[in-house]
Amino acid sequence: MSDILNLGLLQNTLRTATPVILAALGVLMTDHVGIMNIGMDGMMLTSAFFAVVGSYYLGSWVGGVAAALIAGLLLGIFFAVFVIKFRSDEFIIGVALNIFAGGLTVFLLRSMFGVKGAFSSPDIVGLPTFSMPWLEKIPVIGPLLNENTLLVYVSWLLVALCWALIYRTPWGFWLRAAGEHPESLRSAGISPEKMKYEASLLCGVFAGLAGAHLSLGYLTMFTENMSASRGFIAVACVIFGASNPPRVFAAALLFGFIDALGMRLQSVGFNSNLTSMAPYVVTVVMMVLVVLRANHRKKKLARA
Amino acid sequence: MKKILAMCMALALVLSFGSFAMGEAEPVNVAIVVAGGLGDRSFYDSANEGLQSLIADYGVNGTVIECKEDASMYTTQLINAAETNDFVVAVGWQFWDGLVEIVPELPDTRFIFVDNGLDGVGDNLMSITYAQNEGSFLVGYIAAKLSETGKIGAVGGMDNETINDFLVGYEAGAKYADEAVEVHTIFAGDFEDPAKGKENALALYSMGCDIVFQVAGKTGEGVFEAAVETGNYAIGVDSDQKYINPDVIICSMIKQVGLSIYDTVAAYIDNGEFRGGEIWVADMATGFIDVGYGEEDMVQQVPDDLKAEVAELKEKIIAGEIEVPSAL
Repeated sequence: MSDILNLGLLQNTLRTATPVILAALGVLMTDHVGIMNIGMDGMMLTSAFFAVVGSYYLGSWVGGVAAALIAGLLLGIFFAVFVIKFRSDEFIIGVALNIFAGGLTVFLLRSMFGVKGAFSSPDIVGLPTFSMPWLEKIPVIGPLLNENTLLVYVSWLLVALCWALIYRTPWGFWLRAAGEHPESLRSAGISPEKMKYEASLLCGVFAGLAGAHLSLGYLTMFTENMSASRGFIAVACVIFGASNPPRVFAAALLFGFIDALGMRLQSVGFNSNLTSMAPYVVTVVMMVLVVLRANHRKKKLARA
Repeated sequence: MKKILAMCMALALVLSFGSFAMGEAEPVNVAIVVAGGLGDRSFYDSANEGLQSLIADYGVNGTVIECKEDASMYTTQLINAAETNDFVVAVGWQFWDGLVEIVPELPDTRFIFVDNGLDGVGDNLMSITYAQNEGSFLVGYIAAKLSETGKIGAVGGMDNETINDFLVGYEAGAKYADEAVEVHTIFAGDFEDPAKGKENALALYSMGCDIVFQVAGKTGEGVFEAAVETGNYAIGVDSDQKYINPDVIICSMIKQVGLSIYDTVAAYIDNGEFRGGEIWVADMATGFIDVGYGEEDMVQQVPDDLKAEVAELKEKIIAGEIEVPSAL
């Protein structure tokens, strides 16, 4: 039993959840303005690639993160222009982004580095890890919070920051209004389109961070299709968490936990096909719960 | 003037056709269709190396078609490849159903099915299976001997017969070295997700395993990263992977996929031999399965006396004195 329920399980949960939460913060920004960005997976993948390019050529992780942010921003602008200005269907643009990213990264990987499949090199500088000696004395929490890479801590800060931004500032109010009642926002003298652009750009920034974390923090390499559908899991987390950052974070942690638990249960004889199914079973169950709760709330409102 | 020009061009065209037909025998066209993508530095890349050697030594026209784990592509790409090639090499168990369906309908194309034993489909299909259990036995033995915690692990790509054949051999080898050794296995469920592979390996290391055998293609790249991060050891698969990180990869279980494809096609080109309808087991006795320790100038974690023991075991397996269990 101690093989399964140990500290490693919690560390694993945190690590698995981090790229997802970073991506989910981006998705929830656009979700608040009424745009569902299913292209997150591709944005993340492209950013992950440019993070490696930046880190490799500039020789520093700062360069890597900067390159990832620029790539994310550009894709955010691309997405915004098509969805907001040309009013294209957001799902089609999202799918296009995913397919484009898959092709582009493979093409660039092969033409820039001359390798197929995977690129790893000692010249890729990974993100630094932090540890605070005073934390180590606390059992469980100490080792859990220590020794993580930079963007893990940044992701926690960003969850709080996004929550405050969305629910405690006028900007956040406008953001939500742009999605729920764009006309009333316009009558108040603020352009909903402007809010949508800003949300898409922020989405790009978060995609950049998610990608940089994946290829420089989580791993120190780039491999084809390394986002491995984490962008889609992020979309699912946003739906569970009703676009509320702390709740979305909780959903990402739950996913991470089930995933981590699943791989450990295998070692005590659970069938691997069963355990790899677990995150998706939880998805369906959670989905039903979310809908049931929403219905219940509606009924309560109707009665009142 | 135009007429003359047209006639000249027509003549040139006819002549060029003539010279083409009079030239040497047409080169053999060989396509390898891989279920995943190249760049795994392991299974698929080994198959590609075989093709590249065929191009270099025999001047064959070689093509690689990658299906990128897209199940809808498997059968279609086999048919596409069959249209223009004399040899179609299907690399990966994923092609089983597709081959059963199309091999009888394309009698002019010779198919080679790598990594699975499929017979009774047609005389134009030859299967190659590998005795990966034998090589895995040896790396399992090494892992058990070098483990300080008495626990060793393995990360499998998927819970299927071929992967289990590695794992069964690995465990048998470990138990042969030391009955008390614990062997833990985790299946990633994916051959292309190194982040997952890293988590799998970290989970095994945190359970106390100090050596992990990766049998998971590109997913296994993450296993090596986990080994670096935790200061443990890992074992490579299919190709001699030590060069990827000589400090943590102590040895590799080598499965000469490329060489087996090379030999099969070369036999056909040299003397027209093709063992259609057969299943060829490429094993340790014929040199297709082995243990690799990288180049000599790399750090060696496996001491020489242990290497000697392994060499003895190898002889015993070849002689049939040790019967390695199999999952196939």
